[in-house]
Formats: sequence, C-alpha cells, structure tokens
Amino acid sequence: MRLLPVLAMIIAPAAAMAEGVKIEDAMVPLAPPGMMAHAAYRKLTNAGDATCQLIGVKAEGYKTAHLHQSANAGGVATISVVDQIEIAPGQSVAFEHGGLHIMLMHPVDVAKESDIVNLTLLFADGEALSTPAKVMHLHHDES
Amino acid sequence: MRWITALLIWLLAWPALTQVQGVMLDEPLDLPPFAFTNTDLDEGRTLIMFGFLSCPDICPFTLGNLEAIVTETGMRVRPDNVPNVVVVSVGPERDAAFVSEYAKFFHPDFTSFTGTRDQIYALIEATDSFYRLMKPDHTGYYEVQHYSSVSVIAPDGTLRAKLQPPFDPAQIAEFLARLQISYRKELAQ
Repeated sequence: MRLLPVLAMIIAPAAAMAEGVKIEDAMVPLAPPGMMAHAAYRKLTNAGDATCQLIGVKAEGYKTAHLHQSANAGGVATISVVDQIEIAPGQSVAFEHGGLHIMLMHPVDVAKESDIVNLTLLFADGEALSTPAKVMHLHHDES
Repeated sequence: MRWITALLIWLLAWPALTQVQGVMLDEPLDLPPFAFTNTDLDEGRTLIMFGFLSCPDICPFTLGNLEAIVTETGMRVRPDNVPNVVVVSVGPERDAAFVSEYAKFFHPDFTSFTGTRDQIYALIEATDSFYRLMKPDHTGYYEVQHYSSVSVIAPDGTLRAKLQPPFDPAQIAEFLARLQISYRKELAQ
C-alpha cells in the first residue's frame, strides 16, 4: 500500500492519490519579506468510498503548520485554527483565499519562486499523504 | 436588433453592477495629521489598508488585488491621479524591522509603515477601522483580527470612501474613477 502514492505520482505528477483522496493544484504563494507565517492552498477530493477526516498537516522547512480558516465577518478579517475537516465520498474541499488554507509558520529558510514545499496531510485513520506544493507569484486573476 | 443586443449586455452586466464595491461618504471627513510617516497623506489620492506582515491569507490577497486595482485605475485616470497604496501594520513590535520592504513586494510604488500604538490608534479611529491582537501562542506568534476594508483619502487629506471585499479590480477602478470626477466637480464649484 505504501507504494501506491508513489506510483500514482509517477503516473500523474499533478495529482497524488492515497486511500482515495486526490490532491490538486497545491501551491504556495511567494511570501513577502518579514513574515513569520504564510499560506498554502490546494483542492482535496475524496474519490474513495469512506468519509475521510483530515486532522493535521506537516510542511517540510517549517517549524509548524496548521489547518486554518479565514473569514470576513462584519468587515473584520479573522482567522481560526481548524481541528478536523471531514470529506464525504465524492466531496471536494477547496483550500483557497479567504477560506480554508494551510498556515505555514516559522520558515527555516525563505522560500524562493519555483521552490517546492513538501506538504504531508495527516488523516484520523493514521494515513499520511504527501504532496509537493510549488512556490509561485500570486496573481489576482488566479484567485 | 441593436436594442436587443444592448439589453442582453445590460442584463449580463447587471449582477456585476449590483455588487457593492465601495461606499462613498456623504460628507468628506477630516483626518488628523499623521507625523509618523514619510508618506504624506495630503499628496495625491491614497488607499489605506490595515494589516500585519505575518498575515497569511487576507493581507497578501488584498494587496494582490490592490495591485490589479491600481493598474486598472491607471487606464482610466491621469497618471498623477493614480492612487498611492499605503499599508499600515498594526503590529509595530514585530513588524518594524521589515515593514518598509513589505508593500514593495506587491508593487514597487506601494509603501508600508507602522508607528507607535497611539499613532496607529489615531489613524484607526479616524478611518472608523478596527483591530485586535490575539493571545500569543507558545512561540510568541500572535494573530491579528483587523478591519478588511480599504479607506480612500482624497488629495485634500479627507476620508472619502471605503472599498470592500471582494475587491474586483475593474469595478473598484470604475468606482475610484467616478469618485475622482465628483471630487473635481466639487473643486470646480
């Protein structure tokens, strides 16, 4: 089973599969100077038969990483930590601006454009799923 | 045939037009002088945004949009009427060392600064804005809740309007261009 994600990444480099979970469009916007934290985004689809529970994330090159949610309530931008995200079979969850995102904190080195940040998603059943996220310039029209 | 085409265009454009992008103040609001910046708010038009450097999601996204808004506005107004974008960090202790580099990352002409708590508070009050520093975690990192609208300051140093998310570049540029026309009308009176 351990070979499956690796095999899937060789066949389809843009999408990783494990236990039926597919990751697409993983990216990290190039971070401005002076930051202690920035974000990563991607889309998750549960193509399997069982509900999966995402409970955490690890990022190579960062001391910590969290699942986070931004919201704009009454004109005030707020952020909160998300403990668990359930994805039902066939359902997709988008991590995008102004909503869910992976918060990358305390970088060991400053990420440069085209660098790869390896993200590992942790699930409640003990499964871990890795995906490379490319560091790229954020353009407004890609939102 | 022509009116049908016009009607179709109008109907297609309608949902976009109804979305609120900015609110114009009925009366211009005087702002107190701010001594803590090299950026003179009395020079040209200024868009002020509050944020903090380690803001992972909202601030970089808003600044990306402001970059697009400035480009779009540049196609509609004279070069000297293109607004200056100013970012005010509400976390001076943490951000002071890097703050001057921050906004430049998004656009070479953008400026960012911070000040003392009192100075920041004065500007927050004057623009009817808000921020709150959250409790630090074990690493000392703290989150900031902050007002997400952008304040529009006219060349006479008065607060004129607020821009609101989702910051559609073309629509905000239209709003800013209209705001300038009404400002000029006011000057001509």
